[in-house]
Amino acid sequence: MNQPAKVSDTQSTSAIRRTLDGLYFTGGMIGAGFLILILCIIVAQMVARWSGFVLPGSTAYAGYCMAAASFFSLAYALNHGAHIRVTLLLTKLGRYRRLGEVWCFSIASFFSGFFCWHAWQAVKISLMINDISQGQDATPIWIPQIAMGIGTTLLFIAFLDNLFRIVVFGDHGIEAEIIKQSQGEE
Amino acid sequence: MEQFYLTGIFLFVLFLFLGTGIWVGLALLGVAFVGMELFTTRPVGDTMITTIWSSSSSWTLTALPLFIWMGEILYRTRLSEDMFKGLAPWMARMPGGLIHTNIVGCTIFAAVSGSSAATLTTVGKMSIPELRKRGYPERMIIGTLAGAATLGLMIPPSLTLIVYGVTINESISKLFMAGIIPGIVLASMFMGYVALWSVFKKDEVPPPEPTMSFIEKIKQARLLIPVIALVSLVIGSMYLGFATATEAAAFGVIGSLVLAAFQGSLNVSTFQESLLGATRTSAMIALILMGAAFLSLAMGFTGLPRSLAQWIASLELSKFQLLLALLVFYIIIGMFLDGISSVVLTMAVVEPMIRQAGIDLIWFGIFIVVVVEMAQITPPIGFNLFVLQGMTHHQMNYIARAALPMFGIMVLMVFVLILFPEVATWLPDNMRTRPG
Repeated sequence: MNQPAKVSDTQSTSAIRRTLDGLYFTGGMIGAGFLILILCIIVAQMVARWSGFVLPGSTAYAGYCMAAASFFSLAYALNHGAHIRVTLLLTKLGRYRRLGEVWCFSIASFFSGFFCWHAWQAVKISLMINDISQGQDATPIWIPQIAMGIGTTLLFIAFLDNLFRIVVFGDHGIEAEIIKQSQGEE
Repeated sequence: MEQFYLTGIFLFVLFLFLGTGIWVGLALLGVAFVGMELFTTRPVGDTMITTIWSSSSSWTLTALPLFIWMGEILYRTRLSEDMFKGLAPWMARMPGGLIHTNIVGCTIFAAVSGSSAATLTTVGKMSIPELRKRGYPERMIIGTLAGAATLGLMIPPSLTLIVYGVTINESISKLFMAGIIPGIVLASMFMGYVALWSVFKKDEVPPPEPTMSFIEKIKQARLLIPVIALVSLVIGSMYLGFATATEAAAFGVIGSLVLAAFQGSLNVSTFQESLLGATRTSAMIALILMGAAFLSLAMGFTGLPRSLAQWIASLELSKFQLLLALLVFYIIIGMFLDGISSVVLTMAVVEPMIRQAGIDLIWFGIFIVVVVEMAQITPPIGFNLFVLQGMTHHQMNYIARAALPMFGIMVLMVFVLILFPEVATWLPDNMRTRPG
């Protein structure tokens, strides 16, 4: 769609492109895996209850899986246009749209970077003070928090990636939004 | 006075971020960051992460991705076809004819799906072409579909109600139960409108379908058995106190996988598509919830909710006046934001107000759902309008005008809710809750 020929070194850029897209997709797949895990934990918990057992800490584990499922797939969802925003003004900008997008991706890169930095800080602190979950599961909190670190890092990379693309090539790589707009313009 | 300016800056940043197209979740996070910097000396980052971590690793939230997944599986089955075929013989002789399949179809599918867009696409992909073929007026087909699909938000499972319940810490099963009767009442009002239309605009109604014997009708209705079994399983298990909302969602996922397998529409690719679709949608909602959790904390520091609640109290509005004001407020917000975003964005401010006025929070959940339902069909940003535009290629204005009568009926529904609050509160007050 947009011309990769503009770039002099097409081979290496497309290799980077493939690596990054693969990275986001892997994140999505891991997220999906945690979604299946949530289902399994809940079913196991119900079966245990019917047969008179208790699975200690299962609610906490389901909660960790919930967090992991969300964080890992943040970047993947972004590149599929799943995250919503108000595009009313952006579409009104017409040929200045690119400027508007640069503003959006810059702000988003800044806050996702901030988020990512503090997510890793949290992992570090939980590890340092040896923070243990208050629930029955008694998990060291830094282990599930790693999902937050990795997920927000992926999101940060995805925003930087798209910001770079819109500055250099004039088009971001968010799929569904492009399709939606081409339909809207008919 | 300084407080006044700070609040002004805070609100300005909020509108700036949301209005210029920053992704809603990050916009809320950013506004909260600015608010914390303006109003407190606390370490912003640490506070942010603690809040976000505890809100996103919550057990109650797990119902959300599971219900989304269930809808994604069912969307990929032959359910919409079966539902139309099963319902049509029963609706054909009613005043207004097959237009009713739109409404009843949406009502039934709403009971297995939590979102209005999913309800709309699933019912519409079958009913739009079939109704067109029979010569029903386009305006009625599209209008009733746009309106009735919003029932997906009210009839349990409902993503909006899960988000509302998580935000204000209320029982999700209770909220679900509260949505059932108002959903049915609203559906009946839509059907009443269709019947009235058929009486006053006789010339628009196409000739009735050939009659079918009762036995034949029953035979056709067997196509509805799987979906009705699924509805009973999910809602019944919650009502009888047999399962929590999350557990009912797990039943729902397994039930719809079984249903898809029996229909032969379950294979590796549909399974993967449904799972990844659910992962994306729940990541989207999760990001909004993360931003919203941090924002409601920051809102607390700004003192905005407290002073607003005091101001409202000093006006000495009656409950009715307060609710009317909120109705107008949410209709305006709903023009620009989707339902979930407008709920999470406003609850930090609205909740103290509602508590102070002594309004039941379960009841208010249903009120807010009706109001954000209207937002789905109001231009310029109405999600159902976008979806229908994609499906039918009509102009946005045309679809919005076709849906306008439905909007009117929903306003009427708000007054029904205010005058007869028992419509929403009776079921949750009488359900059994699971011990322990």
